Amino acid sequence: MSVPRALSSTVGTTSSDARMRRRRAGLLEREASLGVLLMVPGALLLMVFMAYPFFLGIWLSLTDSMIGRMGRFVGLRNFVDLLGDDIFLQTTKNTFVYAMVTVPFKATLGLGLALVLNRAIRFSNGIRAAVMMPWIVPTALSTLGWFMIFDPVFSPISWLLRHLGLATRNVNFLGDPVLAISSVCLANIWRGIPFFGIIILAGLQAVPNELHEAAAIDGATTWQRFRHVTVPAIKGVVLIATLLSIIWTFADFQLIYVLTKGGPANQTHIFGTYAYQIGLAATEIGTGATIALYMFPILAFFAVLLLLYLRRED
Amino acid sequence: MSHVSTRMTSGVSRRRFLERAGLAGIAVATMGSLPRRAFGQAPAFLKGARLAILQGTYFIAPAQDLYKREAQEWAKAVGATVTTDFLNWPDLQPKIAAAVQAGGVDIVELWPSWNWLYRDSLVDLTELAEEVGRKGGGYQAYVLNSARVSGRYLGIPSGQSNGSMAYRISSFKEAGVAGAEDGRKLDMTWEQYFALAKQLKAKGRPFGQALGHSTGDPPSFCYPYMWSHGAMEVDRDGKTVLFNKPEFVDAMKRFIQAWKDGYDETGTSWDDSNNNRAYLSGQISSTFNGSSIYFAAKKDKPDIAQDTHHMLIPKGPAGRFYWLGSRTFAILKSSKQVDAAKEYLRWWFGEKYDEWWRLQEGYHLPHVVKYDTDALWEKDPKMAPFKDQPKYGRDLGYAGPPNEKASLAYSKYIVVDTLARAVQGGSAEAAVKWGADQLQRIYG
Amino acid sequence: MVGSGRLGRQVLSLYLPLAAYLLFLLFPFYWMSIVSLKPTNDLFEMQYNPFWIQHLTLENYRYLFENTAFPEWVKNTLIVSTVSTALSLFCSVLIGYALARLRFPGSNFLGVGIFLAYLVPPTLLFLPLAHVIARLNLYNTYWALILTYPTQLIPFASWLLMGYFRSIPKEIEESAMADGCSRLQTLVRIILPLSVPGLLSAGIFSFTLCWNEFLYALIFMSSGAMKTIAVGTVSDLIKADTLFWGSLMASAVLGSVPIAILYSFFVKHYVSGLTAGAVKG
Repeated sequence: MSVPRALSSTVGTTSSDARMRRRRAGLLEREASLGVLLMVPGALLLMVFMAYPFFLGIWLSLTDSMIGRMGRFVGLRNFVDLLGDDIFLQTTKNTFVYAMVTVPFKATLGLGLALVLNRAIRFSNGIRAAVMMPWIVPTALSTLGWFMIFDPVFSPISWLLRHLGLATRNVNFLGDPVLAISSVCLANIWRGIPFFGIIILAGLQAVPNELHEAAAIDGATTWQRFRHVTVPAIKGVVLIATLLSIIWTFADFQLIYVLTKGGPANQTHIFGTYAYQIGLAATEIGTGATIALYMFPILAFFAVLLLLYLRRED
Repeated sequence: MSHVSTRMTSGVSRRRFLERAGLAGIAVATMGSLPRRAFGQAPAFLKGARLAILQGTYFIAPAQDLYKREAQEWAKAVGATVTTDFLNWPDLQPKIAAAVQAGGVDIVELWPSWNWLYRDSLVDLTELAEEVGRKGGGYQAYVLNSARVSGRYLGIPSGQSNGSMAYRISSFKEAGVAGAEDGRKLDMTWEQYFALAKQLKAKGRPFGQALGHSTGDPPSFCYPYMWSHGAMEVDRDGKTVLFNKPEFVDAMKRFIQAWKDGYDETGTSWDDSNNNRAYLSGQISSTFNGSSIYFAAKKDKPDIAQDTHHMLIPKGPAGRFYWLGSRTFAILKSSKQVDAAKEYLRWWFGEKYDEWWRLQEGYHLPHVVKYDTDALWEKDPKMAPFKDQPKYGRDLGYAGPPNEKASLAYSKYIVVDTLARAVQGGSAEAAVKWGADQLQRIYG
Repeated sequence: MVGSGRLGRQVLSLYLPLAAYLLFLLFPFYWMSIVSLKPTNDLFEMQYNPFWIQHLTLENYRYLFENTAFPEWVKNTLIVSTVSTALSLFCSVLIGYALARLRFPGSNFLGVGIFLAYLVPPTLLFLPLAHVIARLNLYNTYWALILTYPTQLIPFASWLLMGYFRSIPKEIEESAMADGCSRLQTLVRIILPLSVPGLLSAGIFSFTLCWNEFLYALIFMSSGAMKTIAVGTVSDLIKADTLFWGSLMASAVLGSVPIAILYSFFVKHYVSGLTAGAVKG
């Protein structure tokens, strides 16, 4: 490396130069001050555009503010009122259903995908690129595709079912209460499978072949190999992906907004879309902020779980 | 002659001046002219002004293009810059919310009842609005009822798009409706209408109705259905909820049955556009809509246009009603160009409204009385039923005032969801009770 | 006999499931593509088979480029995504390095704090954040997004880069510092070049997130031509009762292609970015 050059530069300088350099070096060299300094740009952004709005949101939720009108402090009234709001309770139920139904499907189907990809040697790069598409492509855009596939009158699925004689009328994908939440879950599962698939695949590929071979030599069947070699190896990876997915699904917005805007009759509203409707359309910002904040304890719970798991080895 | 102040450049003051000078007749002749001629020289404060206008997207596309051209005409004439933005109605509110806080929009077109929602953020335009009303021979009754907030005009009323029952003549004939070829002859009750639906669905041509969260068609059907059966949101005191009435519950039961027997059941997810598409592709034989279906058919599907007519909305035991409130063009307080915006609105309502109205061929119900006898209504007999709409018009929040609470109830789609829940869940009592409870939370 | 049995098993356990996955995962894209290549009127003809093209046309793409602000949307999305990614990477490199190598008061707390930013998703923040954006007069400007996107990107990118930096042997740095390099110099001249894979991963992940973002773009920057592809497609191609289905799908297809291409060149990096924390734990 540049040993001689660096050393020679510090030799033969005036004392004031050296002192200045030491002082300058002091600030930038001392771990403590450098550390704090390096955090500043990012911390500043997060402070202004995340921390401050967060606390502002808490304040808003304690007022009866409307658009264009700063409200008065009303304490926890919004929170209490929401608990008596039929639509809010429906929204809470929907969000839990949305998250708790889609995540197991995404994980299982993702696992299946990973297992299959693990064995596909030919065209593996191309196939990998192809299967990632639902996750990569902007949700708002791919959801428009589903919006059309689920159209009440022109759906190709309805067309196919009627053509095959399996249905007599168009399927009410987005207008029937049960079908609506199912359709929305289907689109979400479709989008999430690649995420699980790729992460689990990486986990699978991290399992050394010798383990599999040793188990095979010992006479283990495919299923036993799966249970005792594969599963322990990918458990961690699956757990992390699951926790992340739950957090993201609870906090979703785009997919539901584009597909149903929360309808029919509020039956696919989740926290994000309902907060949007109440806060920005019905202009009750105070209530909207409250709806959004109800998400917080749920997200906190899962995020803490994730954090604990990740730090378990530190 | 007194010095020419900026006041002189406004149409009214100029006319008064000329009248005094005995040149009233000539003045009237020069009224219908470009701003430059009317103003003489464009007032200084207009030059370089930047106006941003926000409106809902038009269902009659040529009228949207016309509006854009008109705005640019004004801009060029006075040396200002005008941008026009069009968003779907449901998407407009978040935009308005943003503009209220941060500026960026000067003039915004408000859907009926939104003037109450945003009242603290709108400029008082009473003087200008009264002037516009006077020039048109007075405002329509439904406008007087809905366009004022506590007696003040917070926007210039512009009227509202029409809406009634569109139907396929051939289908109605097939079902044995006498006089089907002329919608003006038809005067049905809900029961008769639903019976027709049942007949036609059996032949594969059901009726269609949007019951989704959309600002236009769903409430325009649901509120009248409620009113025509004797129920309403609140009593005249503005407090007592009169929603859960036995007649209404019975009517709901009939609607649930009719939905199953006669309607395209996917309607619970329809917004303002699904029924247009369904009708124009022959999937449904009747639906509540503005005349935009007919307008589009004339362009793209002439045989359907030929086979289409309009009839009055069916009546119930308590009468026949339409939901009618006026849209308004308002100026946001956060605007930095309030005076320029006022001048623009004065010019547009004075010079351009007529042309804009005519292009829509009756799709837009005018705000002032002078158009009642206009020849346009006679041009196409198929547009006749719309002319009578204002007679039966009622506004949100009836029998109380169309105020903030009515606006909230509307924005939360309570009445619409009541019908949607009824047809989904099957229980009329439960649905109506739910609606009443929701209304109670707002009004109580 | 053995051969066909093997093939049979392969078909069952590999080809069939693979085909099923590919069909399910790619069907919507196929659908979007063929709709974009059909005249819109064909979509409403009930006798046509919707699954293929009766009349091929490029009319929808032409309409998209000539009658909408689609090129503007692409420009806007590019600008916002690139600058936000650059800004986030800058901040994340600094934070990642600080957390990986330096001990300073509050480092633990800050590290957790940054991670906890995951607790505050856009759907929780957008209402009060709208107020902040208004106050700062940033509405409808690129800055509204450029300054807010990093809040979603920095947590993950810092964590990723922290892991990468940690995996670089301390000796390399120590010897450079013994040679008289300052910490910052070692960061720039030694650590960064060694972390290019990590930087690429973080960069691509961030860029993809920006390109994909919808809620903030919808609320903070959506007037006139200041729209991103996602917002423009959803709001400008659905007008009143006319869904310009053909152009809608054309826009959706074109809006997805750049990301798909970018991704296909950097598959490995995207995947390793995604799995970095997960696998390394």
